Amino acid sequence: MRKYLEVAKIYMKAQLAWRSDVLFNMILTITKMLFAYLLWGIMFQGKSMIGEFTFHGMLSYYIMSSFLSQLEMSGRVSYEIQDRIRNGTFSKYMIIPIGIEKYFLSMQAGIVMFYFSFQLIASMVWIFILDIQFTFTGNMMSFLCAVMMAILGIIFMVQLNYLLGILTLKYQGISTFLMIKDNLMELVTGSIIPLALFPEAIVKFMRLLPFYYVTYLPSMIFTGKCEEEAVLGVGIILSWCIVIQFVISVIWKKYIRKYDGVGI
Amino acid sequence: MITKKSIPAWQDMKKYYYQEEANMIRVEHVCKTYKVSKRDAGFMSACKALFHKEYEEVKALEDVSFTIDEGEMVGYIGPNGAGKSSTIKILSGILVPESGKCEINGCVPWKQRMKHVKNIGVVFGQRSQLWWDVPVIDSFELLRDIYSISEADYRNQLEELTTLLNLSEILKTPTRQLSLGQRMRCEIAASLLHQPKILFLDEPTIGLDAVSKLAVRNFIKQMNKVHKTTVILTTHDMQDIEALTNRIILIGKGKILMDGTIEDIKGTHENMDEAVATLYKNYDI
Repeated sequence: MRKYLEVAKIYMKAQLAWRSDVLFNMILTITKMLFAYLLWGIMFQGKSMIGEFTFHGMLSYYIMSSFLSQLEMSGRVSYEIQDRIRNGTFSKYMIIPIGIEKYFLSMQAGIVMFYFSFQLIASMVWIFILDIQFTFTGNMMSFLCAVMMAILGIIFMVQLNYLLGILTLKYQGISTFLMIKDNLMELVTGSIIPLALFPEAIVKFMRLLPFYYVTYLPSMIFTGKCEEEAVLGVGIILSWCIVIQFVISVIWKKYIRKYDGVGI
Repeated sequence: MITKKSIPAWQDMKKYYYQEEANMIRVEHVCKTYKVSKRDAGFMSACKALFHKEYEEVKALEDVSFTIDEGEMVGYIGPNGAGKSSTIKILSGILVPESGKCEINGCVPWKQRMKHVKNIGVVFGQRSQLWWDVPVIDSFELLRDIYSISEADYRNQLEELTTLLNLSEILKTPTRQLSLGQRMRCEIAASLLHQPKILFLDEPTIGLDAVSKLAVRNFIKQMNKVHKTTVILTTHDMQDIEALTNRIILIGKGKILMDGTIEDIKGTHENMDEAVATLYKNYDI
């Protein structure tokens, strides 16, 4: 266990080497919050409610949702695995006594923990400056479920990106898979078309997919909405984590024989 | 009275048994083929390849067999594309062969990866195994935890490696800012921190200056003498081979062509480079 903790720590340290990345990430958080404040301020002019949201409720949801989506940085896992398999440096992980998938999970945990602290500080400061009355669930059970869901959501995304990454063993390039994943995720989380515009049956189907539970539902629950979905949501995302783990082990056993470690 | 000596086969069985025991590395009839895509130059060929991709099978290793005893230092030589790196990758558990057997220190590398890699050290001269953005000492400390090296052993080994490989001034520098020679010295140190029983060195002195080369060679010799480390060295630098190894295995076009001593290879030639060039020519490899 200690070695994985150390892997997380070394990636936290590595983030510090790139100060401009940290700075721009914080600027992005601030810009998004300011933009949301101005946009929703205009939308709420003369209205106290839009849908189920008050102005401060909407901003709370937006802050929470962008906070969680900025922590979901697992995309780099699939790209790193793809590049390393293609240029042969994936061997680096095979010649040290470490579980390769656990290594990538630890790597991601280190990066997330690093950005978590900076994002949290940036968000808190701006909530204070803009005097946002942050809406937060008062239900302890819902809160715990949302925390678990957010953590499981990040784990699931690392697993998914790891799975897509190791498909390079078979397909050499995985950009099509990554494009499908990104579009599906945007569709299910309502980024392309609001979920309310879809027929009920399709929304129900989307709720069976894991992406709904990565940032959207935890953000809603944290801000006191959709609390009745909390327990079921944890169950669904946990089931997805188990299923994908099974798929990873099957794919790994099947395709690792194809690795040729060329270039070294 | 029947004694062990009176059974004729007993001596042979015993000899075979102890022979196997002494073999740190045993490779039997290993074959490995790569599937390589091929197409002609030009836009039309690229379009054609969209619908019909052509592949060629390249036999990297064909019926490769050898044994290496504990504490032996063996030079594994051959021209480019001969199958040296493929062998090293199979021995270190990176590649899975199509057929054949391979047992290293009691482990089948690709089946018992975690157990196997605890006992080996690997240096690939062309690629870095250190963590790119952090100082070298951070990489070493991570490796300490990965290999579960005790603090006392780690301190001793680090001190020894730092002195012998002259690392003290570069330990605090991020890997990405090191020169090739500096990085190679750190790579070698990283692969030896856990005192592996077997060391696979693939072009370990590439890019090193004369002083560093000598330091690395001396260090490997000392490791072998003190800890009985088994070493397989693949390189095109015949000075490394002469300085470090007694036995040489020559591979060409995926086949073992010769297994002998430096004297066997050198023959009447004045230096090893000439001798090896003649061998490559004679074997048409």
